[in-house]
Amino acid sequence: MNVLKLLSAFLKVNIQMSLAYRADTVVNILLNLMWLGWELLSLGIIFSNTDTIGGWGFGELIALLGVFRLVHTLMIALIWPNTEKFNQSIRDGSMDYTLLQPVNSMFLVTFSRITVWRAWDLILAAILIVIGVNMAGDTTTLLSVLTFILLTVSGTIVIYSLWIVLIALTFWFTKFDNNVTILQALLDAGRYPVTVYPVWLRILVTFIIPIAVATTVPLQALRGDLNLSRVLMFLVIGLASFLVASQVWKRGLKQYSGASS
Amino acid sequence: MFKIFRRLWQVNWAEQWQYRANLIMYLLYWLVSPIIYLAVWTSIAQSKGSVNGLTPNDFVTYYMTLLVVDQITSNIVIHTFAYKVQDGSLSGELVRPIHPMLTNALVNNIAFKALTIMGFIPVWIVLFFLYKPDFSSVTFSGILLALPATMMGFLVGFLLSAAITSLAFWTTRVYSIHEFYFALMLLFSGQFVPLTLMPKLIQDIAQYLPFQLLIYYPIQLILGKLSSTQIVQGYVTGITWLVIAILVFNWVWRNGVKRYSAVGA
Repeated sequence: MNVLKLLSAFLKVNIQMSLAYRADTVVNILLNLMWLGWELLSLGIIFSNTDTIGGWGFGELIALLGVFRLVHTLMIALIWPNTEKFNQSIRDGSMDYTLLQPVNSMFLVTFSRITVWRAWDLILAAILIVIGVNMAGDTTTLLSVLTFILLTVSGTIVIYSLWIVLIALTFWFTKFDNNVTILQALLDAGRYPVTVYPVWLRILVTFIIPIAVATTVPLQALRGDLNLSRVLMFLVIGLASFLVASQVWKRGLKQYSGASS
Repeated sequence: MFKIFRRLWQVNWAEQWQYRANLIMYLLYWLVSPIIYLAVWTSIAQSKGSVNGLTPNDFVTYYMTLLVVDQITSNIVIHTFAYKVQDGSLSGELVRPIHPMLTNALVNNIAFKALTIMGFIPVWIVLFFLYKPDFSSVTFSGILLALPATMMGFLVGFLLSAAITSLAFWTTRVYSIHEFYFALMLLFSGQFVPLTLMPKLIQDIAQYLPFQLLIYYPIQLILGKLSSTQIVQGYVTGITWLVIAILVFNWVWRNGVKRYSAVGA
C-alpha cells in the first residue's frame, strides 16, 4: 500500500471532519493569532530591556519562535489528537482493528488524526523564520540554510520518535495515559535558546526530553555555531532515535494482549 | 454546615488522591514556565548587572515567591466543572440543598491544592539550594499583610473563573473564552515578568484590573516592596473586585441555572 495514498486519504477524512466544525475553526485561528501577538509582545518586552539574550539578538529569537512553532504544531496537530485516539483504543480494545490492517501499525497510529487547519500555523512559522533571519542579518549561505532545514527535519524526527516511545510504554503500563504530558510540559523551554538556561535544565531539554534538538540546534546551524562533526552527530541522533523508536514499538506490540483478554 | 464541608473534604480528598500520578504531571506542567522565565531574566540581569534596577537576586526571589503565591491563588474550576454542564452530570448536584460551585467545586479545588503542595514543597527546596536566593527583604509583618491579600486573590480568581465556567450554560466554547481570560492573566498579572518591566500602558491598566491581585500584589507584599499607600490601594482594589466578582458570579450562575436543561432530559 502506498504511504502517500494513505496519507492523502487521512487528510481527506480529517478535512471533512473539521468542516463540520467551521465556527470552531475560526475561533481557534483567532486564538492562535492572539497567542502569536502575545509571543511577539513578550519578546518585545524582553528586548526593550536588553540587546541580547544568551548571545542571541531579537531577529534570531523571532526565527527561533518560528522553529518553536513548527514543533508546537507537530504537538497540537498530530501528537495530541493521535495520542488521545490511541489511549482510547488501548482502553476499549479497538486497537485490535488497527493491528488487523495490512499497513504498518506505527504509521496508522501516528497519522490517522490530523488537525488540518493547523497547516496555517506552518505558514506562519515559515514567515517568522524568514523575517527573523533577515532581521538578524547573519551571513546565511546556501549551505547553512540547507543544514538548517536538514537539522529541523531530523530534530522533528527526534521528537516524533520520543513520542512513539512514550505511547509505546502504554503497552506495558496500561494505565499510563498521561504519556505525552511530560513532552508538552517541557515544550515551552524551546522558546528560548538553551544557552540561557542553567546546566541542569539545559541537560534535561537537550538529552532527556530533547526539545532543544528541534529548536535551538537548527538555529545554531543557521548562525554558524556548529561545526561539521556536530551537524553530522545531530543527524545521526535523528536517524538512530527513529530506529530505536520503531524497535520499541515492535516490542511493545508483542506485549499487547487486547482489552478484553 | 461544618459537617457538610468535612464530608465534602473527605470525598474530594479521596477523589484527588486517586489521581496523584496526574497531579505530578500537572505540577510539572505548571512549574516549567516560571522556572524558564526565572532562567531567562536572571541570565539577562547577570549579563547587564541589573535590568531597570532589578538585580539577579530580585528576579530569583520574585519568581520563587511567585511559585508559592500562584500555587495558592490559582484554581482549576474550568477543568473540573465545565464538562459537568455539558454532559449533564451536574443535574445530580443541583438537586442537593447545597451550592454546587461554592461548596463542592470549592472544596475540590482546595483538596487539589493540598495535594499539589505536598509535591511542590520538595521542588521549591531544590530550587532554593540551586539559586540560593537572598530573602532578607521579607519581614514577618510583610507576610502577615500578605496572608489576607493572598486569600483575597484566591477568592477573586475563583469567583471570576467560576463565572466564566458558568458560561458553559450558554455556550460550548467556554474553553476558548477561558483561554482568552488566561491570556489576559499573563499580560496583566505579573506572571511573565514583574509588572514594572512591562510597557507603561500595560502597567497603568493593570493596577485597576483584578489579575495582579492573584500574582503581583501578594508577591510585592511578601517581598516588602510596597509603600503604605500602595498597600492600602491594593486592598481597596482587592475588596472592590471581590464585591464585583461576587455580584458577577451570582448573576451568571442564577441565569445560567435557569437556562440549564440537562442532556437527556
